[in-house]
Amino acid sequence: MVMAGKKIKSLSDIEQLRQRLLGEQRSYKARVLICMTGCRALGAQEVGAEFREKLKNLSLDKQVAVVETGCIGMCARAPVVLIEPYRYLYGGVTPEDVGEIISATIQQGRAVERLAVVQNGKPAACIDEIDFYKKQKRRVLENCGRIDPKRIEDAIERGGYITAIKAISEKGAQRIIDEVTRSGLRGRGGAGFPTGVKWGLARKSPGDEKYIICNADEGDPGAFMDRALLEGDPHRVIEGMIIAAYAIGASRGFVYVRAEYPIAVEHVHIALEQARSLGLLGEKIGGADFSFDIEVRMGAGAFVCGEETALIASLEGKRGMPTSRPPFPAESGYRGKPTNINNVETFGNVPIILKDGAESYSSIGTEKSKGTKIFALAGKVNNTGLAEVPMGATLREIIFEIGGGIPKGRRFKAAQMGGPSGGCIPAAYLDTEIDYDSVQQIGAIMGSGGLIVMDENTCMVDVARYFLQFVQSESCGKCPPCRVGTKKMLAILERICRGEGELEDLDVLERLGRDIKKASLCGLGQTAPNPVLSTLRYFREEYEEHVVLKTCRASVCEGLVRAPCQHGCPAGVNVPEYLALAAEGRLSEAANIIRRRNPFVSVCGRVCDHPCERRCRRGEIDQPLAIRALKRYIADNMPDFAVPMVRPVHRGAEAAIIGSGPAGLSCGYFLALMQRSSVIFEAEPIPGGMLALGIPEFRLPKQVLQKEIDFILSHGVELRINSRVDEASELISQGFKAVFIGTGAQRGKDIRIEGIELKGVVDSIEFLRDRALGKGMDCGDEAVVVLGGGNAAIDVARSAVRLGAKKVTILYRRSREEMPAYEEEIEGAIGEGVELVTLAIPKRIIGSKGSVAGVEFIRAEPGKAEADGRRRPIPVEGSETTIECDIVIPAIGQVPSVEAAHFINGPELTKWGTIKVNPVHKGTTARGIFAGGDCVSGPASVIDAIAAGQKAAISIDKLLGGSGELPRDTGFSFVKPDEEVLAQGPPRFEEEIIPPSQRRRGFAEVVLGIDREQALAEAGRCLRCDLEK
Amino acid sequence: MSDVAVTINGAKLVGRAGQTILELALENGVDIPNLCHDPRLAPAGSCRLCLVEVEGQRVPVTACTFKIDPGMVVRTQTPEIRELRKTILELLFYEHRGACTTCNENGTCSLQKYAYEYELDESIFTAPPKAEPARNYTTGNEAIEYDPDKCIRCGRCIRICEEVQMDSALTFKERASAVEVTTAFDMPLNESTCELCGQCISTCPTGALYERRAKGRGQCKDLVRTRTTCPYCGVGCQIDLNVNPKTNQIVRVTSEVGCIPNDGNLCVKGRFAMDFVGSDKRLTTPLIKRNGEFEPATWDEAIELVASKLGGIKAAYGADSIGGLSSAKCTNEDNYVFQKFIRAVIGTNNVDHCARLCHASTVAGLAKAFGSGAMTNSIDELKNTGCIFVIGSNTTEAHPVIGLVIKEAVVKNGAELVVADPRSIDLVRFAKLHIAQKPGTDVALVNAMMNVIIAEGLLDEEFIKERTEDFDALAEAVRDFSPEKAEAITTVPAEKIREAARIYARASSASIVYSMGITQHTTGTDNVLSLANLAMLTGNVGKESAGVNPLRGQNNVQGACDMGALPNVYPGYQSVEDEKIRAKFEKAWGKELSTNKGLTVVEMLHAAQAGRIKALYIMGENPALSDPNLNRTRRALDAVDFLIVQDIFLSETAQYADVVLPSVCFAEKNGTFTNTERRVQRVRKAVDPPGKARDDWRIVCEVAAKMGYPMGYECAGEIMDEIASLTPIYGGISFERLARPSTGGRARRRPGIDSVGLQWPCPDKSHPGTNYLHKGKFTRGKGKFHAVEFKDPAELPSRKYPFVLSTGRLLYQFHTGTMTRKSSAINQVSPTGFVEIHPDDAKRLDISDGLMVEVVTARGKVTTPAKVTPDIGKGWLFMPFHFEEGPANMLTIDELDPLAKIPEYKVCAANIRRLHGKG
Repeated sequence: MVMAGKKIKSLSDIEQLRQRLLGEQRSYKARVLICMTGCRALGAQEVGAEFREKLKNLSLDKQVAVVETGCIGMCARAPVVLIEPYRYLYGGVTPEDVGEIISATIQQGRAVERLAVVQNGKPAACIDEIDFYKKQKRRVLENCGRIDPKRIEDAIERGGYITAIKAISEKGAQRIIDEVTRSGLRGRGGAGFPTGVKWGLARKSPGDEKYIICNADEGDPGAFMDRALLEGDPHRVIEGMIIAAYAIGASRGFVYVRAEYPIAVEHVHIALEQARSLGLLGEKIGGADFSFDIEVRMGAGAFVCGEETALIASLEGKRGMPTSRPPFPAESGYRGKPTNINNVETFGNVPIILKDGAESYSSIGTEKSKGTKIFALAGKVNNTGLAEVPMGATLREIIFEIGGGIPKGRRFKAAQMGGPSGGCIPAAYLDTEIDYDSVQQIGAIMGSGGLIVMDENTCMVDVARYFLQFVQSESCGKCPPCRVGTKKMLAILERICRGEGELEDLDVLERLGRDIKKASLCGLGQTAPNPVLSTLRYFREEYEEHVVLKTCRASVCEGLVRAPCQHGCPAGVNVPEYLALAAEGRLSEAANIIRRRNPFVSVCGRVCDHPCERRCRRGEIDQPLAIRALKRYIADNMPDFAVPMVRPVHRGAEAAIIGSGPAGLSCGYFLALMQRSSVIFEAEPIPGGMLALGIPEFRLPKQVLQKEIDFILSHGVELRINSRVDEASELISQGFKAVFIGTGAQRGKDIRIEGIELKGVVDSIEFLRDRALGKGMDCGDEAVVVLGGGNAAIDVARSAVRLGAKKVTILYRRSREEMPAYEEEIEGAIGEGVELVTLAIPKRIIGSKGSVAGVEFIRAEPGKAEADGRRRPIPVEGSETTIECDIVIPAIGQVPSVEAAHFINGPELTKWGTIKVNPVHKGTTARGIFAGGDCVSGPASVIDAIAAGQKAAISIDKLLGGSGELPRDTGFSFVKPDEEVLAQGPPRFEEEIIPPSQRRRGFAEVVLGIDREQALAEAGRCLRCDLEK
Repeated sequence: MSDVAVTINGAKLVGRAGQTILELALENGVDIPNLCHDPRLAPAGSCRLCLVEVEGQRVPVTACTFKIDPGMVVRTQTPEIRELRKTILELLFYEHRGACTTCNENGTCSLQKYAYEYELDESIFTAPPKAEPARNYTTGNEAIEYDPDKCIRCGRCIRICEEVQMDSALTFKERASAVEVTTAFDMPLNESTCELCGQCISTCPTGALYERRAKGRGQCKDLVRTRTTCPYCGVGCQIDLNVNPKTNQIVRVTSEVGCIPNDGNLCVKGRFAMDFVGSDKRLTTPLIKRNGEFEPATWDEAIELVASKLGGIKAAYGADSIGGLSSAKCTNEDNYVFQKFIRAVIGTNNVDHCARLCHASTVAGLAKAFGSGAMTNSIDELKNTGCIFVIGSNTTEAHPVIGLVIKEAVVKNGAELVVADPRSIDLVRFAKLHIAQKPGTDVALVNAMMNVIIAEGLLDEEFIKERTEDFDALAEAVRDFSPEKAEAITTVPAEKIREAARIYARASSASIVYSMGITQHTTGTDNVLSLANLAMLTGNVGKESAGVNPLRGQNNVQGACDMGALPNVYPGYQSVEDEKIRAKFEKAWGKELSTNKGLTVVEMLHAAQAGRIKALYIMGENPALSDPNLNRTRRALDAVDFLIVQDIFLSETAQYADVVLPSVCFAEKNGTFTNTERRVQRVRKAVDPPGKARDDWRIVCEVAAKMGYPMGYECAGEIMDEIASLTPIYGGISFERLARPSTGGRARRRPGIDSVGLQWPCPDKSHPGTNYLHKGKFTRGKGKFHAVEFKDPAELPSRKYPFVLSTGRLLYQFHTGTMTRKSSAINQVSPTGFVEIHPDDAKRLDISDGLMVEVVTARGKVTTPAKVTPDIGKGWLFMPFHFEEGPANMLTIDELDPLAKIPEYKVCAANIRRLHGKG
């Protein structure tokens, strides 16, 4: 194939060759480009063979070229095929698809839409339309996926080697170094040392014998950009090496590549041989007075051999252990001679600089980081693959625009950058412009460009443990900080993950991490603690939860987690076992298990925010189980709902409970389970707290709640309504041995806005409460504007609709995705005709004659991320808009009412006005007084309140001399489901909802629940991961 | 080197360019903690303990790797640095089994020391629970034990093996916390390339590496160290005997880094072959043979018997019917007294010792050429020479620590090494050129080299003109000796001879190193003269890092010669035939002395066999195994009327004795040895002798007194004073000057003259000693060229004896094995003798490796296992001579060099055959 013997002796030789090759290229009508590197494992070869055969059968093989290329980029959709000149990109192609591709695309120029990427619900076949590519700037990768890497002709046809020949025949070495220095190119291996400066040092070092080494020992898990470049376009790297060798005066070079990259090794070998046969390597390259050759050396896969001194040791045949610097390789490297080592991608950038000039190159990027950077997108992101972006792109652009966001609608939690020794970047920095310096500032490193995306189901402690384990096992063992320090840190992390950690451990981790960074010999040790330090910096809370609460919020840490769903439930309900019983139709037994940890089976079957479902492992396979619907099914269908768990107890004034919300009721209930009597004091005329007063009936019917409260009271819990308590400590003096405060967050947060005093402005909580107490306003024919984006706002809006409002509008300052309300509730509201105006900041309420006449708001656009990753809304100047309306209902959050905080001699409060408690036992700062629910946490979910009541009850029992043990809730079902049945299981059943037209008419329950058949099938989908241990 | 001013902790210090911060600090008494540092090794920066702050550096740097720069400001003790060090130490203890109370190293362990200094919480020393110690590469090894639980992975053992020993037997395996030291492929140590030098132990900063036999015999903190001189080869390594005073046992042998000549380095024998000292086979009481059986006797009985017998024989047959063999293993003082006894009390010059069997030709040859028969230069100078020409010396086996110096010169300093040896010895690995000349053809080889040098004008004409005489005779003799002519004799390709000549002659300075491959020939003196010619021809004598350097075989063979334990000279090579000198000694000793030269070793034995020698007094020699043609030797020992053997063991020779006198070994006596580079070094008493054993010189004095000649020395130092007064080259030597403060801890003091001995000539008390001889002027005035003709060895292969047999030493054994074979560590690796044979010969004769074979010469036969190896040439055999169960000297020939009277151990004709039914 290669024109053997025809050596290139001058610049014009290679330019002529290129012209000839371009001519040959034009003779093809179409080209089928198939990734034959990364996609090979997923059947690319079979697809290629099928194309060849079919094209031959159709006698199209002379007009249509089938080209085996390197990585085209969208690895998540392998095998990937690109058809030129149409630029249609197909993914997941099988040999069966080939016929259709030929007939539709090649013969008719039509896209095969079913093989195209789906974007916003629509297929996007042309590569130029695909978001994944649109936002990229593929310069280093420009030939990757476009040429057959095994054919040097393909590379030359696209301009390969011409820059090198030109540089060595026309430019002096110093000019090349100056050019590279001016371009601002920094080492793409991770540390970001200016490449030109490095070359200059090697050039200046005395010695006739110098070496160039290409570091292709890409060791970061999840990083594969060097591999892709070597596999897909080895010539670019070789060209970069030739230029570098000429610049520093080297005559020998090495490509040090790990042996696990057989395709890269093969392609480099082929490329070197072809380059040699063309005189592009060897004696007198391109006719110039410069000789240089390259050999390939394979590394055995030790991570540390990516460190340049260890790499050199390995190259010399020694154990791959780093040595102290100085001396630097530029002075004393391979065999003690001046040596320049650059990463694959760095060399890949060099021809661009020399071809277009330093100024053109440096026009892309940030102030101190120039050019593009290739990232390997991996982890919890839709479009995994290689993305080349300009320096200064934000993580949001890379992850959400190019990467297509997080699968399954889960929340982004952090991005791990820079490989195992990099750091975890939290959502707050999603909009930071990524370059060497900014990444370092926020506690990670650029590294080679590995980017692992993590969602909310990732435990940051576990992540730190995982990465530390990797670096620990890859430590060469030479210096104690790295060898032992990481081991000790790992032992601490493992302990924390088992739930055996102590708070002091966190300080030890920080101190050790700091010292290891300072004292370690090489880059590996100097960065090894980064994953721990960065997660401690941004996610210390999660560590503390592991240590103090013994919980893992992502339900990952095995030592703490029996089953993720159970662990995800704040009340710790044994989900797998009750589902197993439900699957057998044993509903009472199932409810019995639930009720050992949660008395509100019916309530939670309806309004729980079901953190269990977000953790469900089935969700990793298809969809999570509909646990909430199943719970409701159990509650609604069990025959003996009202039978108490235990006999009622009456032991006098043991515990007083203030507030009959879910927290207070639960506290009384669990005390009863532990044979303690209690009295609940409720200020309102009806019990239930926010369940009764805050959640509209169409979500939680009154009688359902009442049944549940009756069930609780049937355990001997005494309820006194209309009984306001002004002083918790008074209850103690009345003889109660313990007090639980569960007064909730009853007061709407004040909104500071002009016109708030106008008639027609109603607080959301008041609105809902009045409605619940039957004295509510009528919205007949009025226009209502609700301010806010939480569940209360939605509840208010949907209530207003039912109360006859002629128009209900919700104004929310951020985007729809950022609304805190449950997605299904938002959907429900929209279905019922509520208008949602997002990115709208209310400016003032317009009044007329003392009454509301409208709301003026200003449009906003999303700005940079705030601490929680949500983007700060930035007002758009001059976009003020007015909505006419009669009623304005602010619903921007709740705080504990003044009453909740009025216990002057009682517990201390936090600066947010909530009651300060110990997170483990819920004790306040006042002896004998406990607190829980919204008055402690601020507005939270029902299940959190139940959990708080449960924990407080346990503490009270202990305080009163009991063991604080709730009834045993495990050991009822050990049947492991059949794997095969599981694999074929039906998809998740969604609950039936009454149609919007019917919903608007009244307050009837919207969600209808599931039937028996659905319930049994759904429950049977459970994987029983609790039985895996 | 230029001075570099640096500020450390506020103090201005001046260092040298290229020095590291750590070197400068330690030199100036600024203690920077370190665990992976050993001045013998290239810095590694691996333990991280020597982190210091350097102004302008972003992070702390390791003092051991960071070179000083002018104006540098260093802080070694900031709170941050101390904190980091403490963390590092805590981490080390996290993996270290802190079992100090039961650890051998307790008291000298660096880790322990720093743990105290940095006030580590003792709770972290808790040893982790541990089952059986894991198997590792030292499992089953008798010499070295490795405990990974105590290892801090500093890599010093691996580095010393690679950088100093250049053996690379050790490596790390695994990664991260599983890293452990091991051999390649986890081979047991004895099957690896390990030479058991124990250098790894010497550099280990903790108790991870330890002498297995030392375990449980005393913790370091309780051991008393005594600095003395190694009793094995002629290198004269300074060793510290670590003695448990409670048991009077030598627990381990250490050596201080920085000491001269060995810089803390030792070989397997120095480190592991001291078991003989405490052996239960030691002689503890005089023995008298009655009716063919030895019976214990009192000293009075034995001395009385010896005195009366010697007196009687002298009276009956004359003084010359008595002979004495002195000992290269004994001190200078012992030797002086012994020869004085033979000369003054017996009245004969029949005194000689085993130097006759090793370097007599050196003494004779170099005396003829230069006027002085000793190593011209110092060991240390080899490091800086441009070319080393090693001929007839298997240095790494016979003089291992000099082997290290040669390897260092080549690998680190770029010296060019030419090895001329029929065998592919270990040094060949490092050689630029290997010449495998046929045994016994050295003169031809060297003559041809000189032919080339003259022909190509590579000679040093000025030196020849100014400093030498008789050049023309030499030029004439080698004129026709072309490399082609030599090729026919030596089988070495002519071109290689030319190359060797060029390398040697073109070097800035060139050192010749030789040993018994040159001397143990009937042409031994000729060989030595040829080398002397070669050196003078190129001006490589009388200057630093050059010279003609015979490596002496035994610890004090140089000293025994210096002391006049030779039949022709008094102490200091003063001729017995010179009347003035004789008069000086007669005056000093108060006796009339014999005017005739005495008999040499082999001559004495031949005379004994012939009945001319009636009584022999053998002090610390073992001719029944070491002398050539043993059958004849043993007949001679049988024939002697009265044989006195004075020794520490009942040796093969002692079996023939009529009286055996128990003496003390080196570790039990005070005195001096003189090493191969003429360095007079102290021997110090470290343990008490066994039973009734006595100092050699005391025994001799008592016999003398009984024979009416009391000598009256109180101590060895007094004897040295007498030596100095009569021996000009020792004139300035005294125990006071050789004294050294008692040994301290591990502090690295820069050695002063008090600890390094004195190199003769040292004519007066203010003289600093002499590094190299013949500076400006040869001892004899002008250097004398000798025309040397090539002669064949005495016995050439024949049809009946088609092989050439050569004998020599092994690394692990010494001399007749009397001492080394008492060591379990050594016996494990070197249990038996053998005969080396080339694979082609072996195949032809159906001999396989390990098979029992019979080696036969005209003088006897020996049964021994075969060792088939390509390291030996076709057509010849090699046997070590250490083993009494396969004594090579049964086979050797007792033909002598006519001048030096040295036997031709290196060449005789032999045959070999497989033994059927055995093997």
